[in-house]
Amino acid sequence: MSLIEFYARNGREALGLLGQHLVLVGISTAVALAIGVPLGIALTRRPAWRRPVLGTANVFQTIPSLALFGFLIPLPLLGGIGARTAIAALVVYALLPIIRNTYTGVIGVDAAVVEAGRGMGMTDGELLRLVELPLAVPVILAGVRIAVVVGVGTATIAAAIGAGGLGVYIFRGVATVNDTLILAGALPAAVLALAADAGLGALERRLSRR
Amino acid sequence: MSPTATRRWCRATRVAVLLVSLVPACRRGDRIVVGAKNFTESDLLAELVAQQIERRTALTVERRLHLGGTFVCHQAIVAGEIDAYVEYTGTAFTAVLQHVPVQDPDSVWRAVAAEYLERFGLVWLPPFGFNNTFAIAVRRADAEREGLRTIADLARVAPRWRAGFGYEFLERADGFPGLARTYGLRFAAPPTAMELGLTYRALADGRVDVIAGNSTDGLIPALDLVVLEDDRRYFPPYHAAPVVRRAVLLRHPEVERALAELAGRLSDAEMRRLNARADVERQDLAVIARDWLAEHVPTP
Repeated sequence: MSLIEFYARNGREALGLLGQHLVLVGISTAVALAIGVPLGIALTRRPAWRRPVLGTANVFQTIPSLALFGFLIPLPLLGGIGARTAIAALVVYALLPIIRNTYTGVIGVDAAVVEAGRGMGMTDGELLRLVELPLAVPVILAGVRIAVVVGVGTATIAAAIGAGGLGVYIFRGVATVNDTLILAGALPAAVLALAADAGLGALERRLSRR
Repeated sequence: MSPTATRRWCRATRVAVLLVSLVPACRRGDRIVVGAKNFTESDLLAELVAQQIERRTALTVERRLHLGGTFVCHQAIVAGEIDAYVEYTGTAFTAVLQHVPVQDPDSVWRAVAAEYLERFGLVWLPPFGFNNTFAIAVRRADAEREGLRTIADLARVAPRWRAGFGYEFLERADGFPGLARTYGLRFAAPPTAMELGLTYRALADGRVDVIAGNSTDGLIPALDLVVLEDDRRYFPPYHAAPVVRRAVLLRHPEVERALAELAGRLSDAEMRRLNARADVERQDLAVIARDWLAEHVPTP
């Protein structure tokens, strides 16, 4: 059966899985942003935290997804089986690029510019809001871009814990050696990753030109 | 080009071709690659096979364990990427050869051995002895409370229960679809599709109520699970045996002799015990295999 035939016959299911996939990546990226950006900023204010925090995020990155699921299942709030657990794992994987780029972006703002702001009598909060963050946005966005592109690929493992997504076709295809089925999951995931990369790339360019 | 030069060229080419063709032959001749599927028992049996070959022959054994599911190993051995791996008769019969499941162990064995040789050039050596069928497992407390002994009993409570199954079990002809038909199983929700290893955890942790594991799995006693009896004999026999490329056995008949010593030596309980040493006690596969071989297949 060709891929086109497969989609023609299973279009509704495929769209459903694609939707689940988008939701998994969207929610996990949003949560990772909500945690990662403030944490990255905090690291620029508390240099002593840098090593332990980035070290921890690094270590998380190296935990194989199945092992991570194994740890997560018994946990009361994040755990169990299904979308919640998958999102928790995806957040863990998305954190590192976001924290690291936020830190790098903010710390990399020209010291002279910061001094000028301070000279104008800005408070720490104003300095962050009006000077450092706007100048750091392109770098932060580059981190988000990495997190999203990697996340689109990683989200295929959500199917290992009953959370659906395009990975369902990949797992099913691998279990029955059906190449069409594997491609039916892998191909849209790849296209999705490329599209996200191009979209965020364009946004990044527009913001850095300003 | 003059005739002499052409002849010289031809001879040089022939010598070069001969030399090039000898290189892989030399390299592969004294090496045998043993593969395994992606679960403990397959890894463990592959380690037993590998060590037995190492003990009894002069061959070097390369281990390619934990490769993937049935089809990955099958494709690897057909392509000659691996020379041997341990397969189960029922899996080969239904999943690889695409036959309708049959319950009689002897006819399954005969069909599998004959068709593998004819279609793939693969030889089934004598089986280890145990039968690793699918095991429909539930928590002991649930089984006792509901008085569950067989899968038919399960059908009674299933509408209130949740199931978590691996992708292979959900997709295979001898997996869930046929089981559901045979026993009239209907769960509260469609079974959750999960990675097989995670289903045990989900069951032990109360996230699902029924899983399909393997009957020789060491986690069954360790997690205090109960295997429900397949009273309608739905699952076909799954006897494990080494599958080896015929080309390898022709070149190295000593491999066949070495592996024949393992035939019939492993009972269901023995296999479950070995699996428990690996999965529950976290012992090294190589150590488990060495101990077992030293005890049960002593060097004369």
